[in-house]
Amino acid sequence: MNNDIFEDLKKAIKEYDTEAAASLAKKAIGEKIEPLKLLDAMTVAIREVGDGFGRGELWLPDLVGAADAMSAATPIIEEEIKRIGAKRESLGTIVVGTVFGDIHSIGKTMICTLLTAEGFKVHDLGINIKAEQFLEAIKKYNADILAMSALMTMTAPEQRKVIKFLENENLREKVKIMVGGGAITEEFSKNIGADGYDPTAPGAVKLARQLIGK
Amino acid sequence: MSRGFIRNFPAFKLLSDENIDQIHRGTLDVLQKTGVTVYNDKALKVFKNADCDVDFDSKRVKFPPGLVEECLRKAPTSFRVKARNQKHDLLLGPNNVLFFNFPGTDTVDLNTWEPRTPTEQEHIDLIKVLDALENVHFLNAYPYFGFSGGIPEVMKEIEGVALRMRNSTKVTVAIANNDIDRFTIKMAKSIGTEIFANPNTSSPLTYYTDQVNACFLAAEYDLPSMIWEGATYGGTAPASTSGAVILSNAELIPYIVLMQLLKPGARVSVANLVLAQNMGNGAPAFGEIGVSLHNVVFNQVWRRYGIPTVSSSCGPTSSKRIDFQNGYQKMMPTLLSAISGSSVLQLYSSIYGEITAHPIQAILDDDIAGMIGRFLEGVDAGDEALAIDLINEVGPIPGHYLGKAHTRKWWKKEQFAPKSADRLTYPEWLKADKKSCIEYAMDRMEKILSTHKVDPPLTEKQESDIEDILSEARSYYRENGLISDEEWDVYKKNFKI
Repeated sequence: MNNDIFEDLKKAIKEYDTEAAASLAKKAIGEKIEPLKLLDAMTVAIREVGDGFGRGELWLPDLVGAADAMSAATPIIEEEIKRIGAKRESLGTIVVGTVFGDIHSIGKTMICTLLTAEGFKVHDLGINIKAEQFLEAIKKYNADILAMSALMTMTAPEQRKVIKFLENENLREKVKIMVGGGAITEEFSKNIGADGYDPTAPGAVKLARQLIGK
Repeated sequence: MSRGFIRNFPAFKLLSDENIDQIHRGTLDVLQKTGVTVYNDKALKVFKNADCDVDFDSKRVKFPPGLVEECLRKAPTSFRVKARNQKHDLLLGPNNVLFFNFPGTDTVDLNTWEPRTPTEQEHIDLIKVLDALENVHFLNAYPYFGFSGGIPEVMKEIEGVALRMRNSTKVTVAIANNDIDRFTIKMAKSIGTEIFANPNTSSPLTYYTDQVNACFLAAEYDLPSMIWEGATYGGTAPASTSGAVILSNAELIPYIVLMQLLKPGARVSVANLVLAQNMGNGAPAFGEIGVSLHNVVFNQVWRRYGIPTVSSSCGPTSSKRIDFQNGYQKMMPTLLSAISGSSVLQLYSSIYGEITAHPIQAILDDDIAGMIGRFLEGVDAGDEALAIDLINEVGPIPGHYLGKAHTRKWWKKEQFAPKSADRLTYPEWLKADKKSCIEYAMDRMEKILSTHKVDPPLTEKQESDIEDILSEARSYYRENGLISDEEWDVYKKNFKI
C-alpha cells in the first residue's frame, strides 16, 4: 500500500498533475506515512525529470510542470515534518529570487527546480524582490547560498545593491552569493563581488555544490 | 521626408476575416473579464474617470468594449514625426515601410565573436554608420548600452542619447526606465527634433510605473509613441500563435486607451517583439519561424484597427556570428513582416538577441532592406513594362536586348544591386583576393566613417543645452541614490565632469 502511494506520488509529479500530487500528499499524511520518505520520493521524481531535461529529452514546460506538481504537495508534507519535529537532510539551503524591478521568472524557476532535484532546500522568493526581503529570508531560513537573477541590463545593478546591503548588515560573510540571468556576465559578477556565476541552469547547480564544498 | 519604401500590392493575409473577428472578440473578452494590472495610480484615475472597472487596491483595470473600440478609432492611421533635418522627417502609414536598428548591449569582436563593451568611439562609429545608411530611417534607443570608461548604469542611455543627438540628425527613441525619458525628451526638444516615447508592456497583462509614466510624458510633450510588447510565447504568452496575438492585443490596447484618453488623436504605433520560447534553455528563440507567424497575424489584426505596426523581431538572431544562420534568421521575418503590412521593420545592426550589435552587420542589413524594398515596390504590368512590341521587334536569336533603350531604362528600375554582396564570377573573385560580403562591408564602413558628416552639426547653443541637461541628470541621480559615491568618483574622473 505504502509503495503504491510513493509510486503514485512520483507518477503525479512526472505527469505534471498538481491536483493528484496535493491529494496524494494529504492522503499519505492521513495514513501516517513518514513525511521525509514522501519528500524523498518526490525528489527522486523531480531528479528524473531534471535528468531528462539535461539529456534534451524533456523540455522546459515539462520541468516547470513537474516543479509545480511538487510545489503543490511540498507545503502539506513540510507542515507534517514541522508538526512531528522531524529533521530534513539536504545539501544546503538556498534563497532564490529575481531582483527588484525585474519581473522575469523563467530562468529562476529552472534553477529552483534543478537545485531541488539535486537535493538542496530551495526557498523561491519570487520576482521583484528588494534587498530587505532577501536579507529577511537569509536570516529566516539560515541560508547557505543566496541566488539572484536579473534579466535586464537596467536591473542587473540591483544585484550589486543587494550585496552592498548585506555587507552593511554584516551578513555578507554568512552566505555565498551566486548570480545569473540574461544581463549578467562573468566580469559583471566579479565586479559586484558575487562568489560565482554560471550562464546555464545545470551549470548553476554545479556551482552551488562548489560554493558549499559538496 | 522619409516615406521609406512603398508597398504596391495588397498586404499578405494568413487568416480569414472571420478568424480576425474571433481574435478581436477574444481580446475584448480578456480586457473586459480579466483586465490588466497597472502599477500607476495616475493612470488608474484616468481609467476610472472613463468608466473602466478599477480596483485601486489590486490595481486591476477592466475595460468596457465600447471604450476600447472608440479609442482604437481615435488613433490616427498615419502620422508624421519631425526630425532635426527635415529630410529625415518620418511618415508612418499603412503602405509605406520604414527601417531602423535593433540594439545590442555590447559590440562583438569579429575574430572571436565574443561580446565586449564598446569604446565611446565605437559607439559613435555605429551611430555614424546608421546615420549614413539611406534606408535607416530613424534610430532606436541605444544602439549600444553605453560605452566603456565607468559610466553609472543609470546614465548610460542618457549619455547614449547625447551621442546620437551629436552624431545623427535622424529621429530616435526615448526609453522609460528610471525617469531617463524626462531628460532625453528634454534633449530632443532643445535641438528641435521629436523623439518617440516608448512605454513597454510587461507580460502577462502588467504595467509598471515608469513605463506608464511614458504615456503621460508623451501627452505632455505631444510626442509620437512606439508601444512595445515583448512576450515570449510558451512562457509569458500562450504557446499558440493566435492566443499569443490575443495576449499581445490585450497588452497593447490599454496603452492605446490611456493615450487617447489623455490626448485624443495621439500618434501611436505598436511594436511587436513577441518571441518564441526556446524550451531547451528558457531563452527567447530569436529568428524562429513562429516569430514570423506571429508578426503576420499581428499585422493583419492591427491593419484592421488602422494603427501602424512595428516588427521588432526582425533584427535579433540566435546566431553569435555574422553567418548563414544570421542571414536567414533576419531575412525571413523581415520579408514576411514587410509583405504582411508592417509600417516599420526593426532590422539593422543586431547580431545575437539584444546582446550584440555591429556596424558591419548594419551595412549587410542594408542590402536586406534594399532587396525587400525593391520587392515591395512590386511589378509594373503597364504597356511599356509588358514590352510586347519590343519582344516582337527583337525576335529570335541573333536578336538581344542589351543595346535597347528599354533595357537601359528598365534594368535599374527592376533590379536591386546589393552594395556588399559578392557578385563576382569565379575568376574575378580569385583575382579580387577572394573577398566575402563581410570584407566588402568593411570597405563600405571605412568609406562611410572617413566621409560621412552629420548634417547639420549641433550649434554651440544646442551643444551647451545638451551639456546642461546631462549635468541636471547627473545631479538628479546623485540625489536619488542611483549613482553611488564610488560610481561618481570613477565617472567624474574618467569623463572630466
